[in-house]
Amino acid sequence: MKRDEILMKIFSEDSKPLALEDVTVVEIADENFAAAIAGSLLAEMGAKVLRVELGDEAKNVTPFGVKIGEVGIPYFVESRNKEIVKFSDEVREKIFSADVVIDGTLPGYLDSMGIGYRQISEKNPKAIYVAISPFGHFTSKAKEFRNVPDSDLTAQAYNGYPTLIGNPYLMGEHSYPLRAGLWAAWTMAGVNAAVGAMIALFERLKSGKGQFVDIATNDVLAVVTTFPAVMGFLFEKPRGRFGTIDYLFYPFGYHKVKDGYIALATPTDADFRALLKILKRWDLEPDWKFTLDRISDDLERIKGLDEELNKTLQNFTVRELLKRSAKLRKSKLPFFGRFLGRPVIVKINTLREVLQDEHWRVRKSFLNVKVNGKEVVVPNSPIRASETPPRVKKLLGKEISE
Amino acid sequence: MTDYFEFIGSLMKGKGRGEAFKGLKVVEITHFIFGPNIGRVLAQFGAEVVKIETPGEGDRYRIAAIFGRFYNRANLLYAILNANKYIIAADARNEKARRIIFELLKKADVFVENLSAGLVDAMGIGYDRIVKVNPRIIYVSCSGYGQYGPLSRMPSFDVAAQGVSSVAMKTGWEDVDEFYKLPDYFGDYLPSMIATFAVLSALYYREKTGKGQYIDVSQCESLMRFMYDFTFYTLTGEEIGKTGNIDPCSSPSGIFKTKDGKFVAISVLTNSQFNALKSLIPDLEDGNRLRKEKIKELNTKVAKWVEQRTIDEILEVAKKLGIPVQPVLDDKEVIEDPWRWERGSLLKFRDRLLGEIPIPGMIVEMSGTPGRIKWLGRPVGYHNRLVLKKWLNMSDEEIKKLEEEGVIGYWDEMPGTAPPLIWSAEKDDVFKGEKDEEG
Repeated sequence: MKRDEILMKIFSEDSKPLALEDVTVVEIADENFAAAIAGSLLAEMGAKVLRVELGDEAKNVTPFGVKIGEVGIPYFVESRNKEIVKFSDEVREKIFSADVVIDGTLPGYLDSMGIGYRQISEKNPKAIYVAISPFGHFTSKAKEFRNVPDSDLTAQAYNGYPTLIGNPYLMGEHSYPLRAGLWAAWTMAGVNAAVGAMIALFERLKSGKGQFVDIATNDVLAVVTTFPAVMGFLFEKPRGRFGTIDYLFYPFGYHKVKDGYIALATPTDADFRALLKILKRWDLEPDWKFTLDRISDDLERIKGLDEELNKTLQNFTVRELLKRSAKLRKSKLPFFGRFLGRPVIVKINTLREVLQDEHWRVRKSFLNVKVNGKEVVVPNSPIRASETPPRVKKLLGKEISE
Repeated sequence: MTDYFEFIGSLMKGKGRGEAFKGLKVVEITHFIFGPNIGRVLAQFGAEVVKIETPGEGDRYRIAAIFGRFYNRANLLYAILNANKYIIAADARNEKARRIIFELLKKADVFVENLSAGLVDAMGIGYDRIVKVNPRIIYVSCSGYGQYGPLSRMPSFDVAAQGVSSVAMKTGWEDVDEFYKLPDYFGDYLPSMIATFAVLSALYYREKTGKGQYIDVSQCESLMRFMYDFTFYTLTGEEIGKTGNIDPCSSPSGIFKTKDGKFVAISVLTNSQFNALKSLIPDLEDGNRLRKEKIKELNTKVAKWVEQRTIDEILEVAKKLGIPVQPVLDDKEVIEDPWRWERGSLLKFRDRLLGEIPIPGMIVEMSGTPGRIKWLGRPVGYHNRLVLKKWLNMSDEEIKKLEEEGVIGYWDEMPGTAPPLIWSAEKDDVFKGEKDEEG
């Protein structure tokens, strides 16, 4: 059997158990989608997630107001495998008996309702409480800003993320810090919260004890990526916008070619030499030979190389570049291949191109779901697991029909 | 009753009850970020992580110092990402080295690799071989496009995955013909946190059933999972594309310049937040405020309001009225932010080899089992002797022979691979394998 066939068999979903079947979760997220994402990940793995709604506004948070029936797209996608109820006294009991409580409301709000960690842990010391908020549930600043609600954009801002995005040579409003085009802070916070919940659940199997897990969306990117701490220590000035230039490698970004855009990366010097070979630009080699020649905090210095490369790249189509790149690799020896060098060149896809790609169909990366007679695409869990594959069975509380 | 924030603070600043992953053995053959960040999280919370590199250059992330700036000959980005790990270097082209790796994997609870898809098979340590000798192992393969499917052998890096998954087309100005990547290797870090979540779910399941498993996580699928654009596209036939500083789910939303020249992010999600803002800017009118043109119209009014006020004035009213508003910080402001130091998102750490360095805090803050940094990433092959003795009961003579034969090795003189200049092998008992990092 071929490798692909063996792997597809290993990862098949047929009548396999779910990893978190015995875990109960209460998600109180309202319009904080970082908290909803945390609940979704646990739900994909089989946890019984009860989404308890205090308000009604999460349904309206959707791109340009586009809805599926009564609800917005993020709400629809993140409703996966969840049971959704309004808050009531009946639900109160379930909050106290849950294994994991996810709190995406303002810090201290659930405490003021008598359903915060203080009250829950007293009755149920095994409870794991995962709090997600801009500044966390402790420190003086968290208290001072307790009434400022969370949002992805404001969290990106406080992480220092938008100051890094954009073209350094543009002026006017185009020189403003720029938002990352997806919910970068909320997504990272949601995934980290799910990781925190799992660390606590795993440890509880041994200790029998619960704990408080705290996520601050305002620092999640800076902590995970490690960059601001190192930058702040080693340099006097902050990084600015670097556009498609990078601070670790060059080239490492997006470039325009004759018929579209490519992502281009040469992580090693051998890869860079291979790129020059493809482009027939050996003249650039002496000045820009080593990784350390090609990166600098002096944007003016790098500009020269960037302009030269961009000029040359626009003479090629994506196909020509890929063809030339494919020809480079002749070594059949797996451990020597990389020393020969080969730039990473891929086409930047549109959504349509992604959805038409056979690769994602084979991997079941998307689910085609029928809603009100219309077929919509919903991303599947990104995890393949041989024994306990995660699954999406329900959306908006209803079994999905593909 | 005690103040809520003080109550939680006392829990978080307490000592906790120990390490969540004490006794958990992890082996990784990883490079750059996607693979190493998984071991980073497990090591923060107490797992014993052995990272296997190539002698000489080691993990190629070592050379990738920010703007080429090293510190005491180390790349601090690498040192932080590989903190608390035992670093060994074995030449996988050598049969004996592959046998050592195989023996380590027999003892591992978790194995993480992010080599090109299929390379582990060629090394004789593919899942099918390892599971036969260690059925309890949780084996994780990380790649750009996944372990199977037509694209699986294509090379990938952060930017490539962002391009292939169409994330690349989302960031930029509507009227500028350019796309910008999500910076700081989001296309590595997000997938690695998802893979970490997958490992932990598998560990939980294994505690209950004794069964290990194989996990496949790709960069592209991890990014696509949170692209609501796909669903939007199938509903409307349109691609959202670049929207500048507008969050299409939020109106008004954007980054605006204040009277005192600062930038502030404002992002209104709910009606009550909108009404609060309207109480300050009375000519904001709702009426399907998420329509694209409407968001722009509202943003123009907000921009005018913001430019007449200082950042402090704006934050004051946001606190009072409950509007999502935060300043846009840069690197320097992040590291100088007192909140981060109070919270523990930034820590001053004294490393035995590298000296005192500010480092980011734990991935998550936990009251019962807080994570901890014990040492920073070490030079190539630094823990060879310690690990071979401790894990495989090898004698000094056996290890010496492996060194002479080039089966295991150490750093070369490239920056990022070697110890500080003042370091002395003779005085370092950990390097000699006579002492563990924490005594």
